[in-house]
Amino acid sequence: MADLSVNLCGVTLKNPVIPASGTFGFGREFDEIYDISCLGGVATKGIALTPWGGNPVPRIAESSGVILNAVGLQNPGVEKFIAEDLPWLKGKTRVIANVVGRTMEDYEGVCERLNGLVDFLELNISCPNVRCGGMAFGIRPENIEEITARAKAKCPSTPLIVKLSPNVESIPRNAQAAERGGADALSLVNTFTGLAIDIERRRPILANNTGGVSGAGIKPIAVRMVYEAAHAVSIPVIGMGGITCAEDAVEFLMAGAVAVQVGTQNFTDTRACPKIIAGLNEWCDAHKVARVADLTDTLQFNG
Amino acid sequence: MREIRATVLENKRIADEVYSLTFAAEEEIVVRPGQFCMIGVGGFPLRRPIAVCKAEGERITVCYRLKGGGTRALAREYKTGEKLSVLLPLGNGFYVKESEKKVAVVGGGVGIFPLIAAIRAYSKHKQVYAYMGFRGRAAVCMEYEMARGEKLVIATDDGSVGFHGTSVQAFMQDVDEIKPDVVLACGPTPMLRALKSAMHGRNIPVYVSLEERMGCGIGACLVCVCEKTDGAHARVCKDGPVFEINDVVL
Ligand SMILES: Cc1cc2nc3c(=O)[nH]c(=O)nc-3n(C[C@H](O)[C@H](O)[C@H](O)COP(=O)(O)OP(=O)(O)OC[C@H]3O[C@@H](n4cnc5c(N)ncnc54)[C@H](O)[C@@H]3O)c2cc1C
Ligand SMILES: Cc1cc2nc3c(=O)[nH]c(=O)nc-3n(C[C@H](O)[C@H](O)[C@H](O)COP(=O)(O)O)c2cc1C
Ligand code: FES
Repeated sequence: MADLSVNLCGVTLKNPVIPASGTFGFGREFDEIYDISCLGGVATKGIALTPWGGNPVPRIAESSGVILNAVGLQNPGVEKFIAEDLPWLKGKTRVIANVVGRTMEDYEGVCERLNGLVDFLELNISCPNVRCGGMAFGIRPENIEEITARAKAKCPSTPLIVKLSPNVESIPRNAQAAERGGADALSLVNTFTGLAIDIERRRPILANNTGGVSGAGIKPIAVRMVYEAAHAVSIPVIGMGGITCAEDAVEFLMAGAVAVQVGTQNFTDTRACPKIIAGLNEWCDAHKVARVADLTDTLQFNG
Repeated sequence: MREIRATVLENKRIADEVYSLTFAAEEEIVVRPGQFCMIGVGGFPLRRPIAVCKAEGERITVCYRLKGGGTRALAREYKTGEKLSVLLPLGNGFYVKESEKKVAVVGGGVGIFPLIAAIRAYSKHKQVYAYMGFRGRAAVCMEYEMARGEKLVIATDDGSVGFHGTSVQAFMQDVDEIKPDVVLACGPTPMLRALKSAMHGRNIPVYVSLEERMGCGIGACLVCVCEKTDGAHARVCKDGPVFEINDVVL
């Protein structure tokens, strides 16, 4: 039995496996299938200052090895989260509140409200927003640094994770921008912007036209990006993108991640996360690894 | 609601492009009519939502029409003895009050399959009148199951069997005579819209089972929403798939 616990910003997670934001709600539904207290943490659905309605349907499409989604960040708003979901979730496992906004003030407001109430805040800076003319905050390094600094000023007591978008010019530069802004950790990747076409109708499948690509097919790109981010900063990195099994999680850890998130695979296999936790334990035992934390950043590049 | 590893007992063609799949769950599963399951198909990231037609203890039967890659792979690759990952039972299902004795069911397309579960359940204690629409003769299936009630009208688009027209048209010819206490419907959205306008002002409750693309199937991801008439969003997989027809925007 390997020691699966990991330390993230001074907070102990019982294992490095966290369901990714938007694929797990606030955990209640999955808890009907298995006891979610086995998880290292739960990254909640993106939470805004006020409730958001989200996009029209269809909101999901499938392509080989991947899916596309355009849910549009429908969410009940921070007050309802605090009143109804947080009390239920708290204590079961670590709570990573994913934060979304359209303006700087939205992000600041949610961070301020949740400061000290959750274990981590995770800033989703991939949402299109007013300030950047509809472009995400998470594209340009200067915007990333500014939003991180302003959010961090509002949540001094809670570690702030900045979740990076992969639809950018340079992952290392954006990772460093978040670090300069005061991020306590990074997570990546969010989804890649994609387009799936219904060729009979000559129209996009998604009502939103484009959507975020996730799932097994994005894994090699995500692993590369996690490696780049982890080697550009000194704060911890949470890796994700296409993880379907324990071996995939090991890749991310070796590339430099301290913990991992699992998104799309929760749809393919409702018990994906507990299976990955069990698989990590088996893998460590079989490879004589005493602590899963010892796997982080053990990749040796060819000379 | 649980995730099971089921064993395929039978997966056979029952009509043009329509298959009936029976699998053995690991244990007895109680399924209400109108509830559905999410079937994992190897190689496809998303499970496919399919209504439960019959639930007899451990034996569950679903019927599906070949549509795209997922249903085709299901028909091709899951022979007797194969294992299948299934989430079930999902959704709210139909609900008919004790006092509602006359139940009309109106179905079209793949919407007939959840209604078969309703006919099986309610024909034991109630009078069930069924109006089921098909494209043509080659598509007609499960007549034996549909005929359990007081009356069965098969409607075909081309008139090759039964009533020439839609199941809604066939039902509206009879509605004032049978005076149902409640109507249960499932089918393509244009069909449900036609039913809604035809039933307007009749003061008979109509429940519809909706279809929407799904991610998780259990209420967590907010992928499958429909719009309610009060402007709110409801999850088809968890709050539905069955809604009162006037509560949802079709
Ligand atoms: C609650 C519910 C019950 C259903 N019951 C039945 C049934 O009993 N029998 C039956 O034949 N069909 C039923 N359907 C429709 C069935 O889910 C689709 O035909 C099937 O998912 C198509 O998969 P595919 O891979 O063949 O098609 P593709 O078009 O290749 O599928 C691509 C993606 O779109 C989704 N999708 C495509 N069409 C639909 C649709 N109409 N509804 C929801 N998702 C869709 C698929 O699940 C998949 O994720 C039901 C749908 C819902 C929501
Ligand atoms: C349906 C869906 C909804 C998502 N919603 C959010 C969200 O609200 N906030 C966020 O930061 N990421 C969201 N994501 C992105 C995931 O958290 C994750 O970054 C991405 O899916 C890559 O991981 P995966 O390949 O394991 O799915 C969503 C993904 C999916 C599939
Ligand atoms: S499919 Fe996830 S909420 Fe309905």
